[in-house]
Amino acid sequence: MYQSFIGLEIHIQLATSTKVFCGCRAAFGDEPNTNVCPVCMGYPGVLPALNERAMHMAYLVARALNCTLTERTGFERKNYFYPDLPKNYQISQYAAPLGTNGYLDVEFHRKKKRVRIHEVHLEEDAGKMIHAGDMSLLDYNRAGTPLLEIVTEPDMEIGEEAETLLQQFRRMVRYLGVCDGNMEEGSMRCDANVSVNLRGQGLGNKVEIKNLNSSRFVRKALNHEIGRQEEILERGGTVVQETRLWNENRDLTESMRVKESANDYRYFPEPDLPPFTATPEFIAAVEADLVELPAARRERFVREYALSETQADFLCDEKPLADYFEQTVEQGADPTAAATWLSTDVRKILNREGLALQQSPLTADRFASLLMLLAESRIHGKLAKQTLEAVFSEDKEPEVIIAEKGWEQITDSSQLTAVVDAVLGDNPKAVEQIASGDARPMGFLVGQIMKRTSGRAEPQLVTSMLKQKLALDIVHVLSFGGAISGSRAADGLIVPGDLRDLRDVLAGELPDSVRFEEVTLGQFLSEEITPTDWATLIDAVNTRLREGNASGIVIAHGTDTLSYTASLLYWFFADATIPIVLTAAAVPWEPVSERAQGDSEAVRNLKAAVTRATSNVPGVHVVYGDQDLSPLNLKFERIDPTAGAPFRNWNQSAPVYHGRPIGAGPLEHTRVELADRLERAIGSVFIVRVYPGMRGDALIALINAGVRYFILELFDTGTASLRETPFSLKHAFAYGAERGVAFFCTSQQEGIVDFSEYVTGHELWKEGAIPMGTLTTETVYTRLIATLALSDSTEDVLKRMEEEL
Amino acid sequence: MESYWKTLLTTPEAATNYRDSVRDRDHDLGAFLEFDPQRGCTAAGDILAERNTETAGDTNTTDDARSAAWAGVPFAVKDNIAVTGFRLTCGSRMLEKFSSPYTATAVQRLCTLGAIPVGKTNLDEFGMGSSTDTSALGVTSNPWDRSRVAGGSSGGSAVAVAAGMVPFALGSDTGGSIRQPAAFCGVYGLKPTYGAVSRYGLVAYASSLESIAVAAADVDTTEAVFRAMRAVDEMDQSTIECPADLADASGAADTTLRIGVLGGELGLDPAVATGYQGAADALKALGFPVSAVELPTIEYAVPAYYTIAAAEASANLARYTGIRYGLRPDYAENPEELVRTARDQGFGPEVKLRILLGTYVLRSGFQDQYYLRAQKVRTAIRNDFDRLFGEIDVLLMPVFPTPAFPHGDAGLTPFQQKIADRFTTTANLAGIPALALPAGVEAGLPVGVQVLAPAFHEHRLFAVARALAQRLPRATPPDYPPLWRKASE
Repeated sequence: MYQSFIGLEIHIQLATSTKVFCGCRAAFGDEPNTNVCPVCMGYPGVLPALNERAMHMAYLVARALNCTLTERTGFERKNYFYPDLPKNYQISQYAAPLGTNGYLDVEFHRKKKRVRIHEVHLEEDAGKMIHAGDMSLLDYNRAGTPLLEIVTEPDMEIGEEAETLLQQFRRMVRYLGVCDGNMEEGSMRCDANVSVNLRGQGLGNKVEIKNLNSSRFVRKALNHEIGRQEEILERGGTVVQETRLWNENRDLTESMRVKESANDYRYFPEPDLPPFTATPEFIAAVEADLVELPAARRERFVREYALSETQADFLCDEKPLADYFEQTVEQGADPTAAATWLSTDVRKILNREGLALQQSPLTADRFASLLMLLAESRIHGKLAKQTLEAVFSEDKEPEVIIAEKGWEQITDSSQLTAVVDAVLGDNPKAVEQIASGDARPMGFLVGQIMKRTSGRAEPQLVTSMLKQKLALDIVHVLSFGGAISGSRAADGLIVPGDLRDLRDVLAGELPDSVRFEEVTLGQFLSEEITPTDWATLIDAVNTRLREGNASGIVIAHGTDTLSYTASLLYWFFADATIPIVLTAAAVPWEPVSERAQGDSEAVRNLKAAVTRATSNVPGVHVVYGDQDLSPLNLKFERIDPTAGAPFRNWNQSAPVYHGRPIGAGPLEHTRVELADRLERAIGSVFIVRVYPGMRGDALIALINAGVRYFILELFDTGTASLRETPFSLKHAFAYGAERGVAFFCTSQQEGIVDFSEYVTGHELWKEGAIPMGTLTTETVYTRLIATLALSDSTEDVLKRMEEEL
Repeated sequence: MESYWKTLLTTPEAATNYRDSVRDRDHDLGAFLEFDPQRGCTAAGDILAERNTETAGDTNTTDDARSAAWAGVPFAVKDNIAVTGFRLTCGSRMLEKFSSPYTATAVQRLCTLGAIPVGKTNLDEFGMGSSTDTSALGVTSNPWDRSRVAGGSSGGSAVAVAAGMVPFALGSDTGGSIRQPAAFCGVYGLKPTYGAVSRYGLVAYASSLESIAVAAADVDTTEAVFRAMRAVDEMDQSTIECPADLADASGAADTTLRIGVLGGELGLDPAVATGYQGAADALKALGFPVSAVELPTIEYAVPAYYTIAAAEASANLARYTGIRYGLRPDYAENPEELVRTARDQGFGPEVKLRILLGTYVLRSGFQDQYYLRAQKVRTAIRNDFDRLFGEIDVLLMPVFPTPAFPHGDAGLTPFQQKIADRFTTTANLAGIPALALPAGVEAGLPVGVQVLAPAFHEHRLFAVARALAQRLPRATPPDYPPLWRKASE
């Protein structure tokens, strides 16, 4: 097994208005050789004059990278000849770089790492040489631009870590306002050093890679280079110490020059510049410019505003958006609502209009006021969206808009009482039906009231008024197949049913306040579930939740796939404000038996589920026997219920019922859309349980068949065969990585998958496999298909899959 | 100082006369590489106009009075100092045709007062030499004996002053480059404190050692020019504000200053020894408290100086590649070849020697042995001076062991010339001011001595020089009476 070592040399151009040693404009994209003067052109007799603003920015970056700041620093000349370097020496720092011994924390697939920063130093950029035909042209506009070099220790192992570090660093410098971090335009550049050696043998022969003008290339080039070096070592060869260039067209590195005639830069102190002293006043000014950095801010957003990591990531990516969000919250808006709206509706409009948030008519004040109108129920969701559109199109305060358009909701029950009474009076048949225990006409009544108020009545208020008037407390019982709803046929086999028998059995055994609304979803056994069935169930639950007239929902389900459906519902409805209770039974209720049979497992479980559903404990529950289980990490462990509990939660100290769902905001897909999305999602997923003797080729065949997401059920904390044999998964990983295939890893045992204990686990991490921590295969599977169904980009999927619950 | 110079450039006729006389006189001497008062007037006029826009409405009567005194005063500028409109050749083929797009800060300050740069003077190539004979662009001869060298590297500037063509000239002093030719030609030569005068516009040879320097016909002029140039310059961050209590200290003759006379075996040519002794005796006679002192570190000055100077030169001269300006070969296969050819053809042997030497001493793994050791010696010399200036106020020292030597093989070899820099390089290594002054004429050639003082104590040098001038007035070379007159004359 090999160990790889990656260190980066990052250069950023500091965004000063003038160059570092003269008064020329420092700007990108001007006519060649227009931003030049005798100083930056290296004319005879000129002298450099240090731009203190550049020094300020340089110390700011060093401080943000947790460096020890050098109190007394200075400059050296780095001597080498190159036509784009006007003086043929570069003024740089050598003996006393302005910052040393810093660090930046990065995390990739659960492995947190502190990457040490060796040093940060300031220097001047060179010009640009362009080869055109048989000419070499020089543009010195860039010569003398302040350039900050950040050198890390070789603390990274794989390209992904380097990519993450670069992205994080880029965000940081943008936050600090010292660089736009544009790698294409070259305001941020990166060279990488990489070496490979046998594990435990220390650093190998170092290869430097250049020409990396995006963080993606950094990842690809490093991973390619690690592979190349491993192959050389595998063959018993020696890696040549050299500089290689990344060829982005061919996706490989090519030798540029062998390092044996290493450049001797003949550093010596720059006599033209006096030493620089970072006085307490200077440091204080630097500290004053140190803003809260993206990583800390993201953490704080999750902690302080209870946002998901994805939401916090989205908000904190750019400082202006994060600032805007906080202004909105300061004005009194709900953080979750603000985050949701910003990442969905607001973003959509901005994209459509091609506007930046800061330049849009939607000021933070207006946005906050819109969200508060919604929170105070002065407008409802649909009208809130129209109001948002109107803010953009009319550039007015939301208050003004709703007043002008008459969109304000009726929230005063006294205003509604007359309407409610009238509707009830006009529909005696519906009222009677409800009184007899069938709650189905509820939706109709709500609709009538909305119609009479031109949609301005608050739906929740209407529902609660109706419930009060009709003395209702509705529990919907949805039958979703399985033995609990089925019956035993004459030949003794269990066949699908619709729960009707059971309902009759239970009639009268539950409190009067509980009314059934039985929704038949299908007559199948749970092992026969299709994506369309799931879509139907999700849609049914969603509709009930939206109508708002239920105090609980019970789903009668089969045992075989209960762990799947339960976790799937959790991923969709984890934030439900009422209990959603799943239950099941090993065998159907049998009408042929005695009345005593009424207390069979099916009856007992359904009764317990209904009781739970009226108990006001929100979230998704699985009730079986006397257990109230979490829908997550549910394992169907035992077939015969009489031998012990069939279900158990893995890796849970306390059961999780309630939390953050995958989708942001209300579910808006129709049943058909959802079925289609789920079906496509499931089509790209494959669950593989690894076993001794399994060949990596099998995975390659699956990839070729269109699988893009694997759930690998590994051994232990995440181990599998990775040695160079036909049984190794290594080639499959490499093959998959090239095709954007993701490998989510769970365990065949109860325990946490984090690749921590074994070398093979670490290798898996290096190959890019994603450890799923505490989650079981079933839970990861449903999370994945829910995420796929609700996400529009692959990047989003990967991000959301790794989020904490 | 008021109305000191009655000048030459105030009327067109006078200007023409002056120009023709200088050209005539310089024909044999070769002080100037370029002489064009008209162009100098244009350059100075532009600088003045720019200053007037900057300070519009801000009238300062003192400034005006001073300007009146300087108006139209001609001065020469060593051709390693930038003046817009003039070439900036550094005496090198490399920059033979290079015309400066900007003006040095020191020159600007003089122009702002009204003085006119009239021409550029010859020098050893890039200031590297003690004879002006390493110039690739012309020969400069000593006005006292034209078979002899003017000294260097600011030979052209010293000759321009000594031969009466200008009242003062700017030069530079890296290791004695103003003082040694001043001594050879019999004029005053001031190397100011390092950091007192901006180096912006002085083509760098050894940045940590060199200063813009003054060659002048008398002490008053030397002091006036120095005071006019001394200032902190934002274009040169190595300039230092002169301590307030020293800025206006008087340079009037003052015989209470304690003089240390460097003793011991100095290895002087008899003529120089006589002049040196004469100066010491004169100081005693004038009533100065005089004592003999030693400077043990002087033995290490030359190796330390050449190590540091060559190291810095190797980087400073790296910019001359023919790519952006300067000598450009007609054809080259690639940029590397272009650079190699330009440098091969553009630089003379002395310059190449020093670049190679500098590159050698900076190699990684050899810095301890050479460059860093030289820096330690430099510190030791500074400490030696600090100690000495605890006991005395001014140090008297020879400038050069010999008087002006003959051109060519009859003179000193380049190696002998370097060894002979031991008296002058000390002031550069220590960053302190030194003034070379005439101490009589022996066997038809002037002999000079130098006085040194702590940093920013130039006024002490003027005070001693003024006093000494009473006993040892400056002699002028017989064939070259001044072309200019003082206002009082």
